[in-house]
Amino acid sequence: MNNVRKMFLLAAKDLRSEARAKEIAPPMVLFGLILVFLFTLDFPPGAGRAPVPGPVVGAVGSRELAGAFLWVSLLFAGILGFGRNASTEREGNRIEGLLLAPVDPAALFAGKALANFCYLWVLEVILFPVFVLFFDVPVGLLVPGVLLVALVVNVGLAAAGTLFGAASQYVRARELVMPLLLFPVIIPLVLGAERLTSSLLTGAGLGSQGRWFILMGAFDLAIVAIGAVAFEFIVNE
Amino acid sequence: MSPPTTTGRRSGTGRRSGTMLLIALVAAGMAVGILAIFFWVPTANCLVPGVAQGQPCFDARPDYVQHIFYMHVPIAYVAYLAFGVVLVGSVAYLKTGKRRWDILAHSSAEIGVLFTGLCLLSGMLWGRPRWGTFWTWDETLTLTFVLFLIYIGYLLFRGLAADPTRGARVAAVIGIVGFVDVPLVHFSMVWWRTLHPAEVIINPAGPQLPASELVTMLFLLAVYTGLYVALMLLRTRLGRAEEALAEAEAALEERPPPRAHVGITP
Repeated sequence: MNNVRKMFLLAAKDLRSEARAKEIAPPMVLFGLILVFLFTLDFPPGAGRAPVPGPVVGAVGSRELAGAFLWVSLLFAGILGFGRNASTEREGNRIEGLLLAPVDPAALFAGKALANFCYLWVLEVILFPVFVLFFDVPVGLLVPGVLLVALVVNVGLAAAGTLFGAASQYVRARELVMPLLLFPVIIPLVLGAERLTSSLLTGAGLGSQGRWFILMGAFDLAIVAIGAVAFEFIVNE
Repeated sequence: MSPPTTTGRRSGTGRRSGTMLLIALVAAGMAVGILAIFFWVPTANCLVPGVAQGQPCFDARPDYVQHIFYMHVPIAYVAYLAFGVVLVGSVAYLKTGKRRWDILAHSSAEIGVLFTGLCLLSGMLWGRPRWGTFWTWDETLTLTFVLFLIYIGYLLFRGLAADPTRGARVAAVIGIVGFVDVPLVHFSMVWWRTLHPAEVIINPAGPQLPASELVTMLFLLAVYTGLYVALMLLRTRLGRAEEALAEAEAALEERPPPRAHVGITP
């Protein structure tokens, strides 16, 4: 059985147990909804239609801010899922069983990351329409560009979340430590996503933003490679 | 006194006096450097690249504030050097599993965080009179701040790790990810700022420095490198002592307690 097949089996195991327990995706989605709602509360209805009038600091319109709100909401909600997905393996020492099985730690990492990747998509499929409704954004501007952005973000975010989720299982106060480790590291990814989404929302499109995709792609590659190589140092006794 | 103990002690003393000598040299160098900064280097020449040599910075007044650069630049250099050493130590520790590499990385991360903090502080002290603000979202400032956060997280993680061996291994992974992130954060910041032009654009083309400025800067870079090495020697020695103490304590716990109360007294 090769590693790719093992990766899919491990991810399927995570998703199957989640389909029964329903303890990761529903809280994630609900938290994401609450965050998007909280952010939109600051904006009066229809504020998304026109830029904020007058000389605002740095001349940032609400359209540009909306991109930041979207990705920060997704990030905070994602953190919940990463932490939960990692701690289920620690509870009842399930990770011991996985390590005893003839599975390469790299495949284990990839499997967990794939499960996190799926959770992020579930979150986004629900959050994007809500975001469009709340912020009064023209759907044509956002779709399909935002799906490409989400794809690039999800790969890196899921890999980093898996790596730091596993890392933070071995410290005290693990729920606190994980965001402290994760957030500074994924700044290139979040910054790129916000920049690209702002570009979409202001109608500029993704045509001239190739370098952000290269940067985020480089981040994805680096974090997936480090995760695959280094995961065994984290989980092995 | 048996010969092996003497040799052992002598070599230990030799290393210690070497460290003390280095510290004395660094202290003397620092004093000479400060004297040079205040009395030797001319004041009117601006160190901000892109501003013509011999011209005052942004106004006609003598630019006393620029003297902080002679400290700020070596501090920033030591910070990046220290994080580079964290990367080397982390990779070597994961490869060999030898504790000394982990002590090296841990020590260097502590010193790196200290110098990053000093770098941010000295930069702010310059920025307030020159840019009119303590902080601006310039790419270099932001990158330094992100590094500060990443390595504070690294140290926090080490402090909270339940099992020291696994904590060291996981910390090594964080140390590697943190340094690999540097160029990525750098580019994201550069492009971010390109879309939102800053008030001050620092030109990468360096000016021709007069001898006194160049010599002072290079001298202080050497002094600060010495300071880094001295701090590393002290900190890694402390790390080894902590390690020895932990081992001794573990050995003490494993030893069965004395059984005087069951023994038959002759």
